Amino acid sequence: MAPFPHLHVASAYSLRYGTAFPAALVGRAAARGADILALTDRDGLYGAIKHVQACYRAAVDPVVGADLALAETGHAGPGAAPGAGAGAVLGAGARVTVLARGDGWGRLCRLVTAAHHHGSRGEPRVTRELAAEHADGLIVLLGPGSDVGRAVAQRRDGLARDLLEAWRSAVGDALVVEVTDHYGHRDAIIATRMLALADSARVPAVLTNAVRFLDPADHQVGHVLDASRDLAPLHAGHLGRAPSHAYLKDDDEMARVARRVCGADPERVARLLATTREVARACVLDPLQILALEGGPARLHLPEIGRDPVPLLRHRCEDGLRDRGLERSSAARARLAEELAIVERKRLSGYFIAVAGVTDMIRAMGVRCAIRGSAAGSLIPYLLRIGEVNPLDHGLLMERFLSEGRIGLPDIDIDVESARRLDCYRAIRDMYGAERVACVSMMETYRARSAIRDVGAALGLPPHEIDVIAKAFPHIRARQIRAALTDLPELRGSGLNDRLLETTFRLAEKLDGLPRHIALHPCGVLIGNAGLRDRTPVERSLLGFPMSQFDKDDVEEAGLLKLDVLGVRMQSALAYAVGEIARVDGEQIDLDDPASVPRDDDATYDMIRTGRTLGCFQIESPGQRELVAKLEPRTIHDLIVDISLFRPGPVNSDMVTPYLEARHGWRSARYPHPELREVLRETHGVVVFHEQVLRVIDVMTGCGLSEAEKIRRSLGDPDRREQVRAWFLANARETFDRATREEVWRVLDAFGAFGFCKAHAAAFALPTYQSAWLKRHHPAAFLAGVLTHEPGMYPPRVILDEARHCGVEVLPLDVNHSGATWLVERTGDGGYGLRVPFSAVKGVSEAEVERMVAGRPYHSMADFWERARPSRPVAERIAEVGGFDALHRLRVGAPRWRPGELTRRDLIAQVGALERASATGVRAGAGKTATPHGATGVPGGPGDLDGADAVQLSMGFTEWRTPGELPEMSEAEAVEAELEILGMDVSRHVLGFHGELLDAIGVTRSKDLLRCRNGAEVLVAGVKVATQTPAVRSGQRVIFATLDDSTGPIDLTFFESVQGRCAATVFGSWLLVAKGVIRRTGPRAVSLRAVDCWDLGELDQVLRQGGTAALRERMAGTTSERDDRGVGGRRLKYGNGYLLSPYSDIGPAPGVTAPPGRFWHASGGSSGETVRTRA
Amino acid sequence: MSRLYGDPIEVWATSEGEPARFVWRDRLHVVRQMLEHWVVAREWWKTSDTDPGERRFWRIEAVAGGQVGVYELRYDTSSQAWLLLRAWD
Repeated sequence: MAPFPHLHVASAYSLRYGTAFPAALVGRAAARGADILALTDRDGLYGAIKHVQACYRAAVDPVVGADLALAETGHAGPGAAPGAGAGAVLGAGARVTVLARGDGWGRLCRLVTAAHHHGSRGEPRVTRELAAEHADGLIVLLGPGSDVGRAVAQRRDGLARDLLEAWRSAVGDALVVEVTDHYGHRDAIIATRMLALADSARVPAVLTNAVRFLDPADHQVGHVLDASRDLAPLHAGHLGRAPSHAYLKDDDEMARVARRVCGADPERVARLLATTREVARACVLDPLQILALEGGPARLHLPEIGRDPVPLLRHRCEDGLRDRGLERSSAARARLAEELAIVERKRLSGYFIAVAGVTDMIRAMGVRCAIRGSAAGSLIPYLLRIGEVNPLDHGLLMERFLSEGRIGLPDIDIDVESARRLDCYRAIRDMYGAERVACVSMMETYRARSAIRDVGAALGLPPHEIDVIAKAFPHIRARQIRAALTDLPELRGSGLNDRLLETTFRLAEKLDGLPRHIALHPCGVLIGNAGLRDRTPVERSLLGFPMSQFDKDDVEEAGLLKLDVLGVRMQSALAYAVGEIARVDGEQIDLDDPASVPRDDDATYDMIRTGRTLGCFQIESPGQRELVAKLEPRTIHDLIVDISLFRPGPVNSDMVTPYLEARHGWRSARYPHPELREVLRETHGVVVFHEQVLRVIDVMTGCGLSEAEKIRRSLGDPDRREQVRAWFLANARETFDRATREEVWRVLDAFGAFGFCKAHAAAFALPTYQSAWLKRHHPAAFLAGVLTHEPGMYPPRVILDEARHCGVEVLPLDVNHSGATWLVERTGDGGYGLRVPFSAVKGVSEAEVERMVAGRPYHSMADFWERARPSRPVAERIAEVGGFDALHRLRVGAPRWRPGELTRRDLIAQVGALERASATGVRAGAGKTATPHGATGVPGGPGDLDGADAVQLSMGFTEWRTPGELPEMSEAEAVEAELEILGMDVSRHVLGFHGELLDAIGVTRSKDLLRCRNGAEVLVAGVKVATQTPAVRSGQRVIFATLDDSTGPIDLTFFESVQGRCAATVFGSWLLVAKGVIRRTGPRAVSLRAVDCWDLGELDQVLRQGGTAALRERMAGTTSERDDRGVGGRRLKYGNGYLLSPYSDIGPAPGVTAPPGRFWHASGGSSGETVRTRA
Repeated sequence: MSRLYGDPIEVWATSEGEPARFVWRDRLHVVRQMLEHWVVAREWWKTSDTDPGERRFWRIEAVAGGQVGVYELRYDTSSQAWLLLRAWD
């Protein structure tokens, strides 16, 4: 008997529906000897490329289709189609399955696109008419879930026949009836009736199993997915929808189903199976039509240029040589000739022309744009002004980017300002036309937190509990959940290891890695030709951009040109800073022009060397601050090395120490062989860059750089390591003796897989230097950019502290001076200040901010209320954080009671009065803004500069308040309000309120740490501003925490040995006290190895309740009760001995990153505790 | 008219797990024809078992002592027990 071809199969790419990946389905089918397998995912072709690829590799013929929902009422005219309104009768959610015929891949893509266009976003709908338009390349399967199937199930035989006829007249001989039997209560009967209907109407019928699972046991996961799609807890109704029989059955099982359906009529059984095979045969696609990179030279689908791109690129490069002043450089000419030869052989000339067109356009829009990644290693992008890095200056290689041996399209990645990324996308779309452009998508998959959320909801757990449970986990994979509960000290004590949650976690683990939803890829843009829509289905993204259903790997396989246009916040911050400098000082700066910003500025490097790099690109993390302080960069090349060294590879193969020792002359550089001196001299004999790996291999074996690049890529693959080793040892030239070969191999092996591409580092080093230069010379403007665009890892309050250290004043919110974003102001004494913007106020809307800025200046709060029209809570918050202080001459702090003088609390109360006044009828119309009203609400208040006591609001009704009726806020309350509303302490550092405690325990301040001797044990305190768990050499999960104590950052390292007692506190507290041992990391840098830590608020409580004795006892601690088991989990071990903790290099649990509601004791009086007193 | 019973019975099944003969009320019934067969999953999320199994139902025509009747049988995969649920006789 011929093998049964499954024609209706959902993979995991049927989002929140299927459970098996295409490769697994194909693998199972191939192992059983199947020769054809279809993939018909719901709502799209998300898994199609992966399916065709898997089929191609397994020598199975692929069929591709889509399972699409029918629009509830057809678009047919009145009376045109029988049963057009039958949707309402038959129930919503009817579906049909559409298969591409052998030549119908393009039609299928277009139908799926049309269905997405027809439905609302994320809910594609197909109609008979849409199917009819594309029917020439398709087969339409009407199964039990279709309108016809439902009519049959409801015994509405006449309606069923009419609907079938309507389909037939729409799609003609594309029509096929699909029968399925999942052993549900009436499945077999419905199938039998559908078969009879098909026979009587002479429509071919096929058998499918409407597959959802690989194995029957997966149906529980199906139930959970159904529930999560429904947003409803599991109930009995879910059982029938994901039956255990909906798995990939084998031939015998399908024959049994056929017998059930055909009532044991052997002739009918044979005919059903034969028709199924015939239809399947007609739908087999040629995989090489879809996969552009397989079987022979790549078949790429580049945009139309309109003329021969080869001479065009040659001319452009020739012009580029002149522009860049390289006309006379023979090195540049030789390099260009070499590069052009490869580009032309690979027929990629058009690609470079297209990319240059895009970058030219982006720059013409006034958007900052930089090249990133390996493309910086090629001279052509430099000549075409795609990027600003000259590869010849840095010894970069093209082969790392594009080589003979590399299959597929090279990636040119472009960084643009994050705030302008969408503008760039729009411009690209307009330039090429919407038909030729689409964004690349990506699948968001289930990880621990999302899996727990969805399973918890399906099992009916209360939402707030789910939230707490999910947030307790770091950003691990779903399948690690139960292991993490025993491995991680902060989870061991959490009480989550409860039997009641066992089912939740068990199911959550089963969701591991399943696609959950589709999202716009952060940077990929497809630029194709007129045929793009025949090669990829396109749907609408959240932002309205057309989005391909293929991810970045799929589009490459499909031979489509992808350009990565990544929004980089630092580029926005730089552009903002340059704009502020021009606005405030009238100075024009061109960051990319070495005449304007010299690349060798000593002052900038001096600042970097002292580790004062908070806010700077790439070098602001605690580890990087430590490294730059040790490395002491003096040139852009040093920055390139620094960025390359700060990667897991170099850190783990311990490249850093030998490099630093040789760099500082503590030992002489060592070269494995004199012939390698040339290659390794720039890094003192240490292999730091991929480019060096390539050169070393080339020098020693003479294999050429393209071949060397291929070898380098194999180094990362543990399976091929031995093979590469043998090749290398055998092929090295005779000049290199056995010992040298072995030694060099060890270096390459340890490093190759993890190293960094120098071109990438060179591309990064430029914005790194530019940001540092701005910080050194224009700190206020630079930090305004950082605060506005938030490019870094630290919360704004840390940047504010850094501003103060740089001598920049932080200016409070002021309705007459604040803007939409952080603005630089000249201060009275000739310095600079940073003004808190309106947008920092919690809950403020963009429209409100716009009105607030447009309405300036205001002459009273009532004026502000009327013209800026904020919501009441926003107006109250602005008053609470002092936005009207300057206007009404308020001053927080003692004395609290000031009869006759206006206070912030009076103003807050007044907002209520203003709202009630507005609500009682007359709303100050927009037209009246020309005659602003006085501060009626605060008669006699000092802010009433109009002189008039009470220019009545037009409604003639106002509540009167006596100024000073409510007490003024204390300084502590003011800071508390700032943290609550602005998320940062503007007027004073929060630590200032814990002076008593800090004195009692005797803490060392950040600025004094430098004076401590190495190895001294000190206590420190501060606000936790960052926690990281990066990969480190030992394979431990090490927690790096940074505290801020108003005098600077304090970097703490928690090793696994102390995490048993510290981890929960580190992740769970906002204010921390820690005990640590001083470790000098450089001439001007220290870090602390933590030995213990406490929640500062808790200690404060102890001090207040039990005095210093109790405090001492608490801090002495009873360590015996504490958990000293450290961190569990099996380390991943790499071939070269590098260990990795399964919990490192992932986002830690969010923990506590914001201040709790009230965290210190308001000093001062007892009354007026409630800040939000309502009038 | 059918009657509900729910009596535990002893069943001889075929290699494919389908009932062939069964004893009910001390009489041997021989299955002549299978009319309907379906499967119902259990609400596994309400049990503490990781796999509560499924229930398989058969509606069959059987003969006992020359008398023909229609019966509904149920097999529970986790308890491996058969019940006679209904009879039309």
